[in-house]
Amino acid sequence: MHRRSLRLALGVLVAATGLIIAGAAGGVSQKANAGSVVFGAEQEPPCLNGFLEGCNNTWTSWTAAIALASPYIVMPDFSIRPYMGSAKLLKKKPFTLRVVLNKKAKWSDGKALTANDLIFTWHEIMNPNYELAGRAGWELIKSAKRNNARTVTFTFSKAYAPWKVMLATSILPQHALQGENFNEVWNTNYKNKQGQEMASGPFKIQSYTKGQSIVMVRNSSFFGHRPALDKITFVFRTNTDTEIQAIRGGEVDAIYPQPQLQLAALRGQAGLRIQSNAGTTIEHLDLNSGAGNSNPLLGQRWFRQAIAYSLDRRAMVRQLFRTLNPSLPVLQNLTYTTNQRGLYKAHFQRYTRNVAKVTALFKAHNCTKGGDGIYSCGGQRASVRLGTTAGNKLRELAVEIMQAQAKSAGIEFRPDSQPSSLFFPRIADNKYDIALFAWVGTGDPAGQRDIYGCPTKNAQGDVIKGGSNWKSYCNKNVTRLLEASDSALSAKTRAAEVNGADAIMATDVPSIPLYQKPTYFVFKTKLGGFKDNPTLQGPTWNTERWTTR
Amino acid sequence: MITFVIRRVLYSIPVLFAASVLIFVSVTAIGDPLATLKVNPLLSKVTVQRIEERKHLNESIPVQYGYWVKDALTNKFGTPLLQPGNRIWDDLRRVIPHTLQLVLLAEILALLIGVGIGVYSAIRQYSAFDYSATTLSFLGFAMPVFWLALMLQVLFTNIFLKWNVRIFYTSGLSSEDTGGGIHFVVDRLQHLAIPAMTLMVISIATYSRFMRASMLEVINSDYVRTARAKGLMERKVTLKHALRNALIPVVTVSALNFGALIGGAVITETIFQLDGMGNYFISNLFSQDAYAVMAWLMVTATAVILFNLIADIAYGYLDPRIRYD
Repeated sequence: MHRRSLRLALGVLVAATGLIIAGAAGGVSQKANAGSVVFGAEQEPPCLNGFLEGCNNTWTSWTAAIALASPYIVMPDFSIRPYMGSAKLLKKKPFTLRVVLNKKAKWSDGKALTANDLIFTWHEIMNPNYELAGRAGWELIKSAKRNNARTVTFTFSKAYAPWKVMLATSILPQHALQGENFNEVWNTNYKNKQGQEMASGPFKIQSYTKGQSIVMVRNSSFFGHRPALDKITFVFRTNTDTEIQAIRGGEVDAIYPQPQLQLAALRGQAGLRIQSNAGTTIEHLDLNSGAGNSNPLLGQRWFRQAIAYSLDRRAMVRQLFRTLNPSLPVLQNLTYTTNQRGLYKAHFQRYTRNVAKVTALFKAHNCTKGGDGIYSCGGQRASVRLGTTAGNKLRELAVEIMQAQAKSAGIEFRPDSQPSSLFFPRIADNKYDIALFAWVGTGDPAGQRDIYGCPTKNAQGDVIKGGSNWKSYCNKNVTRLLEASDSALSAKTRAAEVNGADAIMATDVPSIPLYQKPTYFVFKTKLGGFKDNPTLQGPTWNTERWTTR
Repeated sequence: MITFVIRRVLYSIPVLFAASVLIFVSVTAIGDPLATLKVNPLLSKVTVQRIEERKHLNESIPVQYGYWVKDALTNKFGTPLLQPGNRIWDDLRRVIPHTLQLVLLAEILALLIGVGIGVYSAIRQYSAFDYSATTLSFLGFAMPVFWLALMLQVLFTNIFLKWNVRIFYTSGLSSEDTGGGIHFVVDRLQHLAIPAMTLMVISIATYSRFMRASMLEVINSDYVRTARAKGLMERKVTLKHALRNALIPVVTVSALNFGALIGGAVITETIFQLDGMGNYFISNLFSQDAYAVMAWLMVTATAVILFNLIADIAYGYLDPRIRYD
């Protein structure tokens, strides 16, 4: 071979080897620095202002928004506790709350966090020009009185039972945001007018590289427990397989993925710890008894009960989650979750698979079984569409399982899934039979009246209550109980009303609860203080307690 | 030549217009982009109304298209559907360089390797190397990109787990705190290596097959036989006379390929979490953000048209028998 070519080839080989060695050497030392954690975020926040509808994503609140503390915080046991403040009910009529902020609370730019900020937050939320995700509770406030630098008294137009949920909202800094267009400000940072990052929480934003990462550093002005970590870096890893390899290979220290079957590969992996709990995403079946269904039998209570008796929900949950969370329970209540001890009542427990009961129900209504094993009632086959969001593997598997179970009991489920952009408009239009989807709850039953209560229209014909009751279910007692619960200030009374409604629904079967989607928190064993919070508060609820051992 | 270029540019305008209409109608016809928001019982109807008014979603599709054209021409493609504080053009300016880095790396390496394999296969036709290269090319064509991507991720993760040496990263564009200079470059290369390998496989297969076929045609031609007869060294005959002419079709194919890849390798970028054009497109398509998808389309279509033009010009330049008026 020509000498020049040989030298050239040798040179390329040396350069390539050098590159690999340099990279490998960098790779060997590429562990998390003492005092810092790299967290694989499964979604990138669309933008950082979590108040806006367009940015209102759980990962917005689990990443950048840990910089903004709230008076109350939802704990892993679903209780809501004081955090950066506390509140006291002064009067029931008119409903009056006094909120007192923690005297140590201050902003990262050194200014005190005061009552003015809380009142300003209320004004911002109520500004109709802002495209906010929600105003629940805040819209009932009639007036706010500043008692002193740390105390505000809110007077409401009517009693609002879930006021603690309302106070689990971040407080905004008036001095930084006054006069700014809230629709456009704070999309990529939380800076004040002097360009300083604002924070009242344990960490503040150091940098946000769109498409790549959010870097948070310790906020030395934090009112609570001094964070042990110097830095938390949230890197975006939206593909589950990529997340798995990233945590296996040590590129990230923790992940919090949606439960997918391939996550089972992480069980048994050395150096990793997994926590899984029942979350607040309520997977359920909605049975449409309205005019938009294709089978009028769905308007009959006995038929809906027959469907419930035809399903073996326990077997389905076991099959779906035996590798991810084998102890995940079946959900037996539409309004409370299994985590809420003392509140949760298993009203739907009676609906275990019972083919004999299904048969008895059909026979009692003069239905006969056809040659294909499916019942027919006065010429109407017991055949309904069962749809879900196409592409969601767990849901599609659930549909297959339920289809087989129902068929063997004499009911036919015809799969009817679509992408979510088509699925949800259809069910909102009442054009479905049975829909498998989820409500994402807060743990508080507020808002159930909108889902299960009779629709109420105003003079213009707009639905003002029951707007999410797409299944056309209407039971006046259920409506009354759920409406009363939204303003019941006694926790005991409230629970009794909510459970009373649920008990009625367990007989009417407008929906069938299935399970709470489990959370899946995977992190390195060398990390301390990591504890899953299955509520919407998420895994970063206690970042001030995180340590690297 | 200039006339040719101007004519091609002018022909491109109706093509771009037709493509924009087709894609806009397709994206808007998928369904209501606010459908998932509207099912949220806590979301106020006032907010939904504001978004609909801001983005003219309650207008007919031709009217919406008109507003899009106005925003595209006067406001740099406007703002995303749900984040009025962001600018689409800023997002595109961010993602285009990332895709360019990946594509350049993958294509340059694929060309070097593919051309080399093709030349040697042609020179040693029907040898063990030739048969192996042919088999591997067909394997490369047949291999699904997503499968290869995942397998490479698993492979390099397992290497790290076994020897505690990180050769390449399995996801992302860069590590934190790399600083600048050579450290940044090395870190970026480490992150792009596996995605580039994934993209390269099919490109190497393509270029090697093209090169082999083209080379076989050229090395059996009269002028090459003449060059040998004149006593030139075989190496000179191959590299100076045969290769340059055999490269013509490969250069044009690679120019077309490059243009197409500017739109982003969607699967590769999604799996490796690369903030590029492909990832940008797919996430906005799922959100049914017509404005963002259209902006992506305009950039991609322009790139494809431009590289088609470059391919044609390069072809005319390399082959003196081709002349454009």
